[in-house]
Amino acid sequence: MSGQLIIALSRQFGSGGHEIARSLAQHFDLPLYEKNMLRHIAQSRGVDPGRLERYDELPKNRLLYRTVNGFSNAPEDVIAQMQFQYLQERASAGESFVVLGRCAEEVLKWHPGLVTMFVAADIPFRKERTMKLGHVSESRALLLIAQYDRKRRSYHNQYCKGRWGDARCYDITVNSGKLGVEGTARILADYVKARVDQVESGWGGTE
Amino acid sequence: MVAQIAAVAIFLAMFTMIVSEKIERHIVTLGCGLLTLVVVFGFCMRSSGAVWEALSLASIVRTEFWYQAGAASTSVGINWETIFFIAGMMIMVEGMAESGFFRWLCMALAKLVHYKAVPLFFAFMIMAAVLSMFIDSITVIMFLAAVTVELAQLLRMDPVPMILAEIFCANLGGSATMCGDPPNIIIGTSLGYTFGDFVANTGAMAAIAMVFVLLYFYLYFRRELTSKVQAQAPDHYPDPSQAIVNRRSFILSCVIFGCAVVLLVTHAQTHFTVSLIGVVIALGTLTASGRQAKSILRRVDYKTLLFFIGLFVVVSGLEQTGVLELLAGLISRVSGGRPMAMVAIIIWGSAAASAFIDNIPFAATMIPVIKTLAATQGADLQTLAWALSMGTDIGGNATPIGASANVVGTSIAAKNGHPIGWGRYCRALAPATVIVVAVSMLFMFIRYF
Repeated sequence: MSGQLIIALSRQFGSGGHEIARSLAQHFDLPLYEKNMLRHIAQSRGVDPGRLERYDELPKNRLLYRTVNGFSNAPEDVIAQMQFQYLQERASAGESFVVLGRCAEEVLKWHPGLVTMFVAADIPFRKERTMKLGHVSESRALLLIAQYDRKRRSYHNQYCKGRWGDARCYDITVNSGKLGVEGTARILADYVKARVDQVESGWGGTE
Repeated sequence: MVAQIAAVAIFLAMFTMIVSEKIERHIVTLGCGLLTLVVVFGFCMRSSGAVWEALSLASIVRTEFWYQAGAASTSVGINWETIFFIAGMMIMVEGMAESGFFRWLCMALAKLVHYKAVPLFFAFMIMAAVLSMFIDSITVIMFLAAVTVELAQLLRMDPVPMILAEIFCANLGGSATMCGDPPNIIIGTSLGYTFGDFVANTGAMAAIAMVFVLLYFYLYFRRELTSKVQAQAPDHYPDPSQAIVNRRSFILSCVIFGCAVVLLVTHAQTHFTVSLIGVVIALGTLTASGRQAKSILRRVDYKTLLFFIGLFVVVSGLEQTGVLELLAGLISRVSGGRPMAMVAIIIWGSAAASAFIDNIPFAATMIPVIKTLAATQGADLQTLAWALSMGTDIGGNATPIGASANVVGTSIAAKNGHPIGWGRYCRALAPATVIVVAVSMLFMFIRYF
């Protein structure tokens, strides 16, 4: 792989998107950016990362905060902008990486090496995973799925023109419940490889 | 009746859209202003006179618009005196910022107190208050908060206590003068009060309250100010002179700022109106900045000026249809016609409203209300005006969205890795707001009754 590769993966809660992103990062030997971005940002500013992490990937409440002359005082908004800037700086520096959520498919849309994907799954599959990994009851798992999906949707749609999970906004949308997390990671890795090969062979493939 | 309903509907729609921030606020007020002209004055009232009165263009060519301080330029429609003055101040402040004036002032003051946390805390609070007496608090906080973060990194301390205290003091300082806060400019120009009138009344209240505020913030933040301060001194401190971008424009900025202060302080004696002062300082700044004049003009916040223009038209819709008289009647009934109760309702009501909604439209709406109260109930208009001024200026301190300076200050803190949520903000500043409003009310009760 000679050129820049940025994999932007968005996911429904419980679909195994995080695991798939980690697997893709390992497969292509790339760093994975998710919450850890805030640790880097906090380090550069000499502040406690915990202060920033509590607002990570959360939508702002329009009634509770205001914007004056371009200054927004919603901590969620400021943290989101910090992460967008961080991603843009990395991408502009020519770095290849995998990024989980954070509106990356919109924030980095002008970078030619970008591959965007959305991982969804059926409720039973997500519920089972959430109950198993989180050691929670069925009702709690369903509640978490609903809560996180709502937060991710609001967060995404506040900053992006396209709707969260809308297949038209991503290069590939996949249901991880059909092939399982590992199987989905494999086919997504194949897809990314095909995209890289396509670029390296010089074929545009837009027809 | 139909005109009243239409005026109220437009006003409420404007407020909702401003709060939602879906559309830029100047577009909202201009759009609603246009609706007021067409629907309320045109279709409902069928009065071209009301349209001209709302636009108030004739007021600009009157002699008293430029000369003869103390006379109200206009009571209905667009308050052009406010627009001209704010535009002039914006141009002056842009010129000062470009020369490095604010950063130099902050750094020079920090050096003066030897970069010690507690003296720095007091010095920056006082500077925020003093600067905000003459310059808009957004600009003051923009520079002060940025320097505070820089110094806090150097001294390894948490900048949040200082930024919160600076925000409060900037809003408090703004209440002390006619030009410190937009509601005061609107109140002063609409009711014909001078700079001296404000200093003698709201200024006195702000000065007394400032003593309580300094003490309160020191007691509230004393642990954060003293516990994390580094034992070891940094290798080097920033040199204030390095903040000066251009020495010539820096000196000229200082001179123009000094002239603006003198013109404002003496305008009751010189009979120059604030609109004339605005134009004079704008021309002075543009002439002195030479080739930079274009870039200064480009950076002027035209959106805020347009916001004011639209807002005044919408409020004139409420005023000319008699809606505000109904509101005045309600206050009168609740207070039982007792002036002290009216003052209490106005100061606490304004403070509570300003904590959550923009205090500029609120003040613009309330001016005709207090005029009606004074005319119909025999209450002293000046006393009601000072209650409105203190309520709207100070109430905004209570929440992170109450005033523009709060938004800018907390935003700068967050951008530097110190996000401030409602909890932390309100725990520190809401009690201080209550203290200042209570002190101001007691002051008014003792002095005016």
